[in-house]
Amino acid sequence: MEPLIRVENLCKDYQVTRRREGVWGGVVDLVKPRREILRAVDDVSFEIPAGEMVGYIGANGAGKSTTIKMLTGILTPTSGHVSVGGLVPWRDRTHYTRHIGAVFGQRTQLWWDLAVIESFHLLRKIYEVEEGAYRKQLDLFRELLGLDEFLHQPVRKLSLGQRMRCDLAAALLHGPRLLFLDEPTIGLDVVAKESVRVFLREIRDQLGVTVLLTTHDLGDIQQLCRRIVIIDHGKVIFDGEIDELRSRVGDRIKLTIELREAATSASLADVTGTMPVIWRAGDGLVHEVEFSRRDVRSAEVIRAVVNDRPVHDLRIEEQDIEEIVRGIYRRGDAKATDAADEGQEAGDA
Amino acid sequence: MPETAITVPGNEFERWRRGGAATAGLYVSFARLAFLKFLAYRLRYYTGVVSYTVFVAGNYYLFTALFASRPAGEELIGGLTLAQMISYVILSWVGRSFTFNNIDRTLAQQVVQGEIALQLIKPFHVQTVMLSEALGEALFRLLMFTAPILLVVVPLFGLSSPPDPALYGWTVLSFALAFLVNAQLNFLVGCLAFYLKNIIGVIRAKMVIMEFLTGVLVPFTFFPAWFQSAMEWLPFQAISYVPVTVYLGLRTGHDLIISLIVQAAWALGLFVLGRLLWSVSVKHVTLQGG
Ligand SMILES: Nc1ncnc2c1ncn2[C@@H]1O[C@H](COP(=O)(O)OP(=O)(O)O)[C@@H](O)[C@H]1O
Ligand SMILES: [Mg+2]
Repeated sequence: MEPLIRVENLCKDYQVTRRREGVWGGVVDLVKPRREILRAVDDVSFEIPAGEMVGYIGANGAGKSTTIKMLTGILTPTSGHVSVGGLVPWRDRTHYTRHIGAVFGQRTQLWWDLAVIESFHLLRKIYEVEEGAYRKQLDLFRELLGLDEFLHQPVRKLSLGQRMRCDLAAALLHGPRLLFLDEPTIGLDVVAKESVRVFLREIRDQLGVTVLLTTHDLGDIQQLCRRIVIIDHGKVIFDGEIDELRSRVGDRIKLTIELREAATSASLADVTGTMPVIWRAGDGLVHEVEFSRRDVRSAEVIRAVVNDRPVHDLRIEEQDIEEIVRGIYRRGDAKATDAADEGQEAGDA
Repeated sequence: MPETAITVPGNEFERWRRGGAATAGLYVSFARLAFLKFLAYRLRYYTGVVSYTVFVAGNYYLFTALFASRPAGEELIGGLTLAQMISYVILSWVGRSFTFNNIDRTLAQQVVQGEIALQLIKPFHVQTVMLSEALGEALFRLLMFTAPILLVVVPLFGLSSPPDPALYGWTVLSFALAFLVNAQLNFLVGCLAFYLKNIIGVIRAKMVIMEFLTGVLVPFTFFPAWFQSAMEWLPFQAISYVPVTVYLGLRTGHDLIISLIVQAAWALGLFVLGRLLWSVSVKHVTLQGG
């Protein structure tokens, strides 16, 4: 079956001007600006079948937003092809937009001075949604997102989390089969993040909407997507199931333990015995232990320590995106190797 | 598919190829909402009534002083009587209070802040949306701003009636066209934000230059003939000088009709130009990335 989204060899170059230094440099810049080409998206290809929710992840500046902008038709690529449901986003933009929804985390598509509900009414007219269908959709979102308490407030008075919930509803009111989300949880607190995630799971399961979601928050991905595409310096360096990534990179976990009584890390290593964990050198009350989720379960490590020592506090940290990306390079199985001149971490790839 | 979803009838891909521009009703909604928005901010306009009255007063005293010092035996200055001059001052400022809007600034801000991207992924014409909003603003201004200014200024300084009562109607029509010309021009200026770094500076400069070129500050009849004929070829006089001189009865019969047609032609021409500049600009921004 034809995939809903097909991206082939997509590239996007930006022209950037590099400033020279000093006063004289400033004068020279005026006369002869130093232009450089920055390749933000570099030969990206992937396919997404209808109904899937795919995470598009990467560090800041990796090229996520640029990709989303090309897929929504806001940017024209330098080269490459995109076909979404048979349409080319930037070429067929005006009627393509009727069939997609998009949320850009840092911006709102709602009207700043209008009450939320007025924005929704306007969107209904913009997309020419029938009254009945609109009612149904709105009722569903009111329930799933708990919109009722601020539906009649002007958008400028909403908190970031409330605004994001409204933006999600706004992007879906016209019943698009495809939703693009660019950093939908950026800047949100834990509770607001969670409600966004719960909602996205609901629309995936209930409405079967296809979702492409960019984020630099691994938590989003772990809870929402089976498949992820990782992009780094504009190139796809991983495309596959999240479990596959785990088995490749090792899925490292860091446990920070605060004891009631000081101890050496050597003595703690005795406590975990033969478990494949690494205690970071440290004396005193606070210790760190690292291990791979594949090798040992965190519950076992915690049990071993707690049974032996009086523990005051515990904190589990998972790897962030940057670490995972570095991990891919370290293993030397990245598809892209020419980015290896960036940083010493990648040097031993 | 659960029943909560809006199901897409038939083949998904087929339906995707359909769909056109939004309907007129949508643009009426934009105008209505703009009207309501400005209504919510109406308090700000009360001080505006005072400042417009001050502008009129300043010009009133300036020109009365000028007429007082005219050589003995001369009736006219710049081709106008004192009564005409006072009407000119009143009408040009009252008219400005109606035709003025900030869509250049609004558009420029959206471009500079990158918000324009979100407009691009909506199935409507941004230019038409902005003009509808300007229309909503104009209706608000007419009722809540221009009317009060008129009520204060007319008894205070004395507006003489036009030589022919029919001119009331023609003046209203001419001011309506003046609004359209100004709005198209503002849209064009706003589009420059796609290309210029210091667009806010340009917009400020434009405001000052416009007051001069539209004839709000000084009637064109005060200037040399070459200046007046140059203005004949530019759209600016359609924004103030034309409607005011229609009221004063300086354009009669054939002349009057031609003046209104030229105004309408400018409104239309600038609209088309705006549409062209818009599509070129959108192409530019989608290629350059803002
Ligand atoms: N309009 C632009 N002009 C020039 N460079 C840009 C522009 N937009 C993004 N970039 C650059 O392109 C790269 C990718 O940016 P972006 O797609 O926003 O990354 P991400 O969303 O993953 O953080 C970055 O280096 C960024 O600085
Ligand atoms: Mg981004």
